[in-house]
Amino acid sequence: MRSYLPVVAEQLFKDIQKTYQETSQIPDDLLIALKFVFGPSVLQALDLVDQRSVTCVSSPSGRKVFQVMGGSGRLYTCFMSCHYCPCPAFAYTVLLRNEGLLCKHILAAYLCQAMGVTQQESVSDQQMSMLLGGTPTEIKY
Amino acid sequence: MSAVKRKRYSKDIKCIFFPDDVQNGVKKLGREPSLSSTSAAKCWERCGDSFLAIKNLKSSGRKLSAVRKLAQSPASVLTNGDQCNEDPVHIAWSSSDSDQSDSDSQKQHPPRLVAQHQQRPQRPRRASAPIQSCSSALPMLSDDKEGVPVIDADSDLNDSEGEDEKDGWRQISDCESGSSDEKPKDLPPKPAHMTNVEISGYVSDGENADDTMTPSRLDTESFPQLTGEGSKRSVSDWVRFAQAMLQTPQKQLDRKPKTPEDSAKKRRKFQSGGLAERLNRLQCRQRSAISFWRHQSISDTSTAPVDRPGVLVLEVLEVQEECSMQLARCEHHQPPSTGHQHPHPLSAARACVLVLFSKETAAQLMPAPGDIIHIYQPWQSLSIEGDNCTIILNTHFSQKVYSASKLDNVSIPRAVLPAEKSLPYSLAKIFGLLEGYNITEEEEATAKQVSAPALFSLGAPGVMSRCRQSLLEAIESLGQAGSVGQDVEVVVQRVYSIPVSDSPAGSMLKPRVPSKPSSAHPVEKGKTRLCVLVQDGYGMFSVVQLPLLPCEDSLHHYSQKWQGKACLLRSIKVVQRVTRERCTRLFSLIDSLWPPVMPLRVHGNTPSSETRPPGPAPSFCYLLSGQESSVEPVEEQAVSPLYLPPTKQNLRDILQSDLKSHRCSFVATVIYKRMQSSDVGQSEVWLVLTDPSLQEEQLEGPRKRTVALCVSTSCVLTSSVVKALNSPAACRLSFRDAIKEHGVLLCVEQSVVQIHPVEAESSLESTDGPESPSQSLAKPQAQANALPQPVRLDPLGPETKSKSLCTLTGVIVGVDQNTAYSWPACNHCGSSRLEMSVQRPETFHCVSCNALVEKPSMKVQLEVFLSCSSLSNCTVKVKLQQNTIMSILNIAAFEGNEFPGYEVENVLGKEVGPLTVYVRVVTRKPALWIGLEEVCL
Repeated sequence: MRSYLPVVAEQLFKDIQKTYQETSQIPDDLLIALKFVFGPSVLQALDLVDQRSVTCVSSPSGRKVFQVMGGSGRLYTCFMSCHYCPCPAFAYTVLLRNEGLLCKHILAAYLCQAMGVTQQESVSDQQMSMLLGGTPTEIKY
Repeated sequence: MSAVKRKRYSKDIKCIFFPDDVQNGVKKLGREPSLSSTSAAKCWERCGDSFLAIKNLKSSGRKLSAVRKLAQSPASVLTNGDQCNEDPVHIAWSSSDSDQSDSDSQKQHPPRLVAQHQQRPQRPRRASAPIQSCSSALPMLSDDKEGVPVIDADSDLNDSEGEDEKDGWRQISDCESGSSDEKPKDLPPKPAHMTNVEISGYVSDGENADDTMTPSRLDTESFPQLTGEGSKRSVSDWVRFAQAMLQTPQKQLDRKPKTPEDSAKKRRKFQSGGLAERLNRLQCRQRSAISFWRHQSISDTSTAPVDRPGVLVLEVLEVQEECSMQLARCEHHQPPSTGHQHPHPLSAARACVLVLFSKETAAQLMPAPGDIIHIYQPWQSLSIEGDNCTIILNTHFSQKVYSASKLDNVSIPRAVLPAEKSLPYSLAKIFGLLEGYNITEEEEATAKQVSAPALFSLGAPGVMSRCRQSLLEAIESLGQAGSVGQDVEVVVQRVYSIPVSDSPAGSMLKPRVPSKPSSAHPVEKGKTRLCVLVQDGYGMFSVVQLPLLPCEDSLHHYSQKWQGKACLLRSIKVVQRVTRERCTRLFSLIDSLWPPVMPLRVHGNTPSSETRPPGPAPSFCYLLSGQESSVEPVEEQAVSPLYLPPTKQNLRDILQSDLKSHRCSFVATVIYKRMQSSDVGQSEVWLVLTDPSLQEEQLEGPRKRTVALCVSTSCVLTSSVVKALNSPAACRLSFRDAIKEHGVLLCVEQSVVQIHPVEAESSLESTDGPESPSQSLAKPQAQANALPQPVRLDPLGPETKSKSLCTLTGVIVGVDQNTAYSWPACNHCGSSRLEMSVQRPETFHCVSCNALVEKPSMKVQLEVFLSCSSLSNCTVKVKLQQNTIMSILNIAAFEGNEFPGYEVENVLGKEVGPLTVYVRVVTRKPALWIGLEEVCL
C-alpha cells in the first residue's frame, strides 16, 4: 500500500484554499481534520497564521523562500520547493523519527499560502543567496 | 543462560546490595539529597502504570542494547557488591522498588537471595521485578537456573514456536519491555557511556522489533566484560544516569495520553478570535467528547449489529503505519442500511475505503487484518481529487467489535504483527501550495462541477449553518463580546416573570434579604421581567431574560405565544453561568422537567443516529439576555415534542407525594389569606388552600383538608390576582410550578399564579391561560361550589402545623388576663377611632366614618386557654372572636358605656367550639404550645 498521508495533506490544503477563497473562513470541520492529520503542531501553526508570521521573501532573480517568525522570535527560513525547516522539531519529528509530516513552521507556511495571508518581502539577490546559503540572519548592507 | 537475562539480573541486583535496607528504602533515599522520595515514588507509580499499559510492547533490539548498557553499571556494582551502598542509582531504584515490591518479592525471596548470591547474585532481584510488572515471566526467571527460555502460556510473546532461539530472547526482552519501562527504552544503540545527551534523545516507542537477534548476540559477547569494565564507572556517572532514569518515566507518562492531545494542556494565550483559539476550543470539546465516548464504549461492549446510518462497519484488510498514524485499508463489512440522510461519498458502491487512525486510537484499537471495526460519528471522509479514493479521518470514535486474532488458537499479540511502516515521504514532494499555487481556471471549473467539498463531515460540528441545535455549542463558540452569533433552536418550556428590583439583570440570583421585604418591593413598582426557560435538543437548559413586561398581565400573552413551541433564539447574550448550588430554585424547576419526554441527542452525533437515555439533570445552565424579538417560534401552532407541560395535580396527590422537594402545579381555592401588611404583594402572603380532592367526605389516613401556601415576594402576583385575593369572596387560583417543601407549598421566582378560568373547571388539563380577570371573577362562587360549605377542616391535633386552618372544640381552662381588655367602637363602621364629643360628653365622634356615635359598641379582646380532648399535655391558647366572646360571657351585647366586667370563674369550664382557628404559632419544645386565632372564613 502506498503512502497516503501526503495526499491527504495536499487535499486538505486544497480544501482550505478553496473554502477560504469562497467564504473567507476555515470551517470547524476542516480545522478538526487538520488537527487529526497533523497533530498538535496545528495549533501552533494556526497561531503563527493568526500572527501573520509567514513571509515570502523573494529576490529579483526569482528565488523565493519562506521566513517564519517562530514563537520565540527566531526566524526560520523554509524552502519553497522541498520541505525543509531548520527548527529542531523538523529535524527530530520529521527527519529522525518520521512521526510527523511537517513542522509547525512549514505547516504555517502552507496555511498562509492557502489563505493568501503570506506577507511578501523583496530582498536583493545577494541577500537571498545569503539566506539560502544558511548564513545567520543578520544581513546588513 | 542468556546474557541479556543475566544482565537484566545484574541490573536488578541493586536491591540486594542492601538487604537490610529493603524495609526502609525510603529512609535511605532521604540520605541522597538529589533524589526526592516523592519523585522516585511517582516514577514508580508511573512505571507501574506503564507495565500495565505496555504489555504488548515488543522487544526490540535497540532496547536490548540499551538494556545492556544499563546493565553494565549494576553489574559493575555487583562485583564490588556491598561497598556500593551509596550509589544513588541503586538507592533510587531500590527504594522505589521497595515501595511496591518489598512486601512480596523481597520477603519472598531472601533465602534464595542468599543462596544464589555467590553464583548469580543478580537473579533474585530479577525475580522481584516481574512480580510487579509481568507475572508471567516470574516462574521462568526465578526458577530456571539454567536460564533456558520457557515459553509461558500467558506471555505476550508466543511468537513462533519454531524459533526456539528467538523465543528465549523474545521472552526475555519482553519481560524487559515490561520492566524496562523503568528506564529509557530506546537509548541510541551504541552509547558507551550514559550521558544526559543520549538520554534526552529518548523518545522511542521501541517499536523496531525486527532485529532481535543481532543485539542479543552482541550482548552475549559483551557480557563477560561488563562486570569487570563496569566497575570502573564513576559515581558521578551514576548520578547522571540516575537522574536520567528518574526523568524518563516522566516523559513516558506525558506520552501516554488517555485522550488525544494532553499536550494542549499547555495553556497558551492565542490571539483572540483567531484560528488557533477556535481550534483550541474545538479540541477541548473533542477531547472531552472522546473521553466520554471511551468511557461509554467501555461499559457498552455490545457487538450488536449496527444498522444506524452514519456508523461505518469496516473490515480491515491491511494496515500500515505512516508518520505515527495508522492507515488501514478496509472494506465495508456490510453495506450500511438504507436511510442515509446524507448522500455521503461512501454510499456509492465503493467497496474499499482507507481509514486513518491517530496514534492514540490505533494504540487502543490495534487494527489488524480481519478485524471488524465500527466507526461512529463524527467521522470525516476526504475524497482525494483525481485519485478516486476516500480516506476516513477523525476516527476517534472507533471500536473493534471483532478481532480476527481472538479466534485463532494462537493468541498472537498485536504488537508482534506490527503495522508495516511506510517509508518516509520524499521531502522534495511538496503539497502543492507552496510555490504560488493557485487554482487555475480549469481547476476552478472542475471544482465547481464537483459541488461537494472534498471533506465531508458527518456529524461534525456544523459551522456552516447559522442555526445550531445546541445551546452549549452556541454559547461556547461565542466571541469575546459575549454575544451568541448564531440562532439556536430550542423549546420554550416555561414562560414566567420575575420582579425587577433596583439592581439590574442577574439580581434574581441574589438571595433576598428577608428583613426588609417591603422597602423596595417589586410589585410596588409593578415592574416585572419576562423570563423564558428554554431547552435544546441535547437537554441543556437556559433562562433567557427578556425586557420588562409592558403590562404585568401580558405574561399570559407570551405564555400562549411561546410556551411549548420550538423557537429560535437569536441575538442573545450570555449573562451568567449558574450552577445547581447557586440557584437551587431554578434547578428545582429544571428537575421537574427532567427526564425529558423524548430521547435527547448526543453531542457529536446527528440527531437521527444516536440518542441516549437521559442521565442526571444538568447541573448548570446559562442565563441569557435578549430582546423580545430574540425568541421567535419556528412554527406558530405546533407544540414541540420536547415540551413537558406542567401536569396539574390535585392537592391530595401533591400532599401524598413522598418527594422531598418538587415542583407542582394545581388549581385550588383560597379559603383564607393571611398577609403581614394590608396590601397583598408587599410581603409574603400566606394562603390556605383546599380543593375538592381534600374535601371528600371520607379521607383515609392522616390527610389534611387544607394546605398552606406561601407566596414569597419573589413571585410576581399580577394585579388581577391581588384584586381577587383582596376581595372577600373565595377565589380559585391556578398555581404553576409551585414548590412543595416540608409539607408546605411555596410560590417563588419561577412560579406563576393566575386566576383560574371558569371554563377550565371541568378538566384538569393544563391550559395555561386564564381568561380575562373580569370573566373569571364573575363566578368565583360557582367554582367554589365544588367544595362543601362550610369547607371541612382538620381537627387540631399534635401534628398541626403553623399557618394552617383547623377546627377546635375544647373547654376553657384559663384566661390570659394580661391580654384581655375591652374598648368602645363605632357602631356604624366598627372603627375604634372614636373621639370624645366636645359638645356631648356621653357621645363619641367616629373619625373613620365621621359620624356621631351615641352608643358605641363595646369590643372585647379575650384569649383563653383550652383543654382539648384530642390533645393532652398541650397548652392551647386561642384568641377568640367577638361573637364567641359574647357567647361565652353570656352578654347579649355590650350596651351603654359601661362594661360590666366579668368574673374569670364564670368563663372557666365553659365549652367552646367547634371554632375555626388559624394556627399562628406551634412550639414543640419544651412542651407543645399552640397559639391559635379564631377566624371567620
